[in-house]
Amino acid sequence: MTIFKFALKRSFSNTTNLIFLTLFPIACIFLPNGEDWPFLPYGYQYFGILILFVGIRLATIILEDREKGVVKRLAVAPISHFQYLSQNLLAYSVILILQCILVVFGGVLYGQELYQPGWLLFLFVSFSFASLAIALAWISIYRKKDVSFLVYMSLIFIVIILGGLMIPIEIFPDLLKRIAIIFPTFWLAEGLNWIVFGENILDFLLINGVLWLYTIIFIIIGSTRKIY
Amino acid sequence: MRVLSTIKFTVLRMVRNYIVLLLLLVVPILLITFFSYILSGVTTETGVPLRDENAMQMVLVFQLFGGSIVMYMIYNDLFTENKMRIYSLPFNQTMYAFSIMLCGAVYSILLGVILMVYAQLVLGVVWGNWVWTIYIISLMAILSIIVCLIFTFSVKKYKIAERLSEVYGVGFVLLAGFFFPMPENAFFDFFGTYGNPLTLSIGAVHEMDQSNLGEAWFQANILLGAIIILFMVMLILGRRRMG
Amino acid sequence: MTIASMQGVVKRYSSDIALDYVDLDIQEGEIIGLLGPNGAGKTTLIQTLTGMTPFERGKVELFGQSKNPFSIQNKERMGLVTQEITVFEELTARENLHFFAGVYGLKGEEKKRRVEEALEFVGLGDKGAKMPTKFSGGMKRRLNIACALTHQPRFLIMDEPTVGIDPQSRNYILETVKKLRENGTTILYTTHYMEEVQAIATRVVIMDQGQIIKEGTVEELIKTVQHEEKMKIDVTDADSVPINDLEKIAGVKKVVLSGSQITIISAVGSGNLDRILTLVKEYTGVLGIQADKPNLEDVFLTLTGKQLRDKGEE
Repeated sequence: MTIFKFALKRSFSNTTNLIFLTLFPIACIFLPNGEDWPFLPYGYQYFGILILFVGIRLATIILEDREKGVVKRLAVAPISHFQYLSQNLLAYSVILILQCILVVFGGVLYGQELYQPGWLLFLFVSFSFASLAIALAWISIYRKKDVSFLVYMSLIFIVIILGGLMIPIEIFPDLLKRIAIIFPTFWLAEGLNWIVFGENILDFLLINGVLWLYTIIFIIIGSTRKIY
Repeated sequence: MRVLSTIKFTVLRMVRNYIVLLLLLVVPILLITFFSYILSGVTTETGVPLRDENAMQMVLVFQLFGGSIVMYMIYNDLFTENKMRIYSLPFNQTMYAFSIMLCGAVYSILLGVILMVYAQLVLGVVWGNWVWTIYIISLMAILSIIVCLIFTFSVKKYKIAERLSEVYGVGFVLLAGFFFPMPENAFFDFFGTYGNPLTLSIGAVHEMDQSNLGEAWFQANILLGAIIILFMVMLILGRRRMG
Repeated sequence: MTIASMQGVVKRYSSDIALDYVDLDIQEGEIIGLLGPNGAGKTTLIQTLTGMTPFERGKVELFGQSKNPFSIQNKERMGLVTQEITVFEELTARENLHFFAGVYGLKGEEKKRRVEEALEFVGLGDKGAKMPTKFSGGMKRRLNIACALTHQPRFLIMDEPTVGIDPQSRNYILETVKKLRENGTTILYTTHYMEEVQAIATRVVIMDQGQIIKEGTVEELIKTVQHEEKMKIDVTDADSVPINDLEKIAGVKKVVLSGSQITIISAVGSGNLDRILTLVKEYTGVLGIQADKPNLEDVFLTLTGKQLRDKGEE
């Protein structure tokens, strides 16, 4: 588990990552409630955005290995590409899950109205996996980490808006409403709505199921390319 | 003025930076288009179509990030390994830095104007006062460049300067209350109004649209004052760093 | 005519001394090979000579001017090829050259002509419209050189211009340097590759710890460290070799027989190669001879020591 251990160490190694991984999630706990929308406090509506950014920041470490040629070195070491990738992803998943726990239970302790904290945590964890998988697929098409990060940030911002995470989907025109379902952010927003209003657990499982489906598809895309 | 001969190439280098074009032109075009669809028919309390209001805000928000290209080029040419070659050339390096700033400002303003033209021609957004809006865009572009250069000159690691420039952009959008309402106290009140270039610039355009010339000039002049003061700070820091 | 001169130049970086009373004269038409281990002060010397770094003591003179040696006029007569590839990646090769030519004051048709000439000169005549990002390492290095040539400098400083490229490109660059000299350019050339200096330099300057510790032509420098000559002779019949007789020849210090090869170490300049060969041939057939003479690398290692110099990179 050397790669796992060092992936954890490296994730916390620079200041920007440290802020993304610790301060920002804590800040989410304390953001206020909206008036009519969102139904959950702002920090919980926007935590999904943070998960997307954290996902790409973490996955960029793999890209950094590729950029610097470390992957080549590992290719000749007695370790498979699967081990390298899975241990990295495991480390990033642990970090993301811890973040989700921090935000959800921090909010409970702080006294935020989170309706169903347990299911909320489950939703955030599902979305974290999807975020990580998308980031992995994204970096697989790049060689330069700065370019990859900037382009991802600008595109993801549009996905966030089109998915209804920042603006309620109800006010979208019909066409955009229909298009929205292809974005993972739409399913997160739907999940957040379920946390507040949902009754039928099957709906919630479907939402999470779609997020898991995204995870599987993007993990496959992201892990098949092993550029040296 | 040997520096004049470099301007063409500075412009070429800026235009060929596709990431900047993506961030400062393509993304805002997509956002303005999207918002104009979902906001069509809605008006503000003062009767202005929300779509127009949003387009104006978007154009000004992206000006907060306009300094990034100048920051990158000045760092690349005068602080990295290129420094040795640039300093061996028979021209005034300070003038060269100013020429990059000038090109960057014009480029950033031009991108803002392209967004305005696009919003009007394609989406039907009505701009109250073109000249005034362009003036305010110019102030925002210049301010962003100066702030970015202050970061470049005052911290050792360029990566940190880059992050700070992002904090400047995103921070003032947050403080303006675009994402969620800010707490009500003196600090947030100040940085949500007269202490925030974004709210100042939006305010200046609003006031001019409503023919409140005095208030419009007042808000614009605060921006101008900030530019003058920060320009001097930039000069001092720049001299110390480049000296 | 003296193109550049440094007299008693001292430069410190806090407590570290980078240039320690350096004296150097560069005459017109010379190719000076500047050698030194990492951290010896070569780059500081170049930065001082181009006016990039202020120095504490001493005098620098360029083109006979000591009052304002780094004037725009003097900079116009100089060119610098940097160690790193300092070209603009967003501009094509031709645009890069136009940028530098413009800064050096060239205009119009003359500028166009000089740019094309510089491209041809470095073998990139047909690659002008391409972006440097598409170039191989050797092509980038050649473009890096061309950027300093459009204004046809009288004095060209080349700071390790061949780092990390293939032998063909290196050879091309060395030929280019020789051609430049033939056209009247004076060159200061720093490198780690001894064979490059041996191939092109008219004078070698060796630096260490901020000081110039030796200078002269390659031959002169070799003579200063040459104490012994080693000769290896392959013979047909090793048993017949007259070892005792060989040892008696004046100047021969040692004779060792190993398999069918005799190794003979003798004092430098003893001139006894002929005597040894004649004697050996009387007793056995000779298959091959190999004479090892000290080279510039031996000079360099003798002068600067063989220990690793990692202090500067800590």
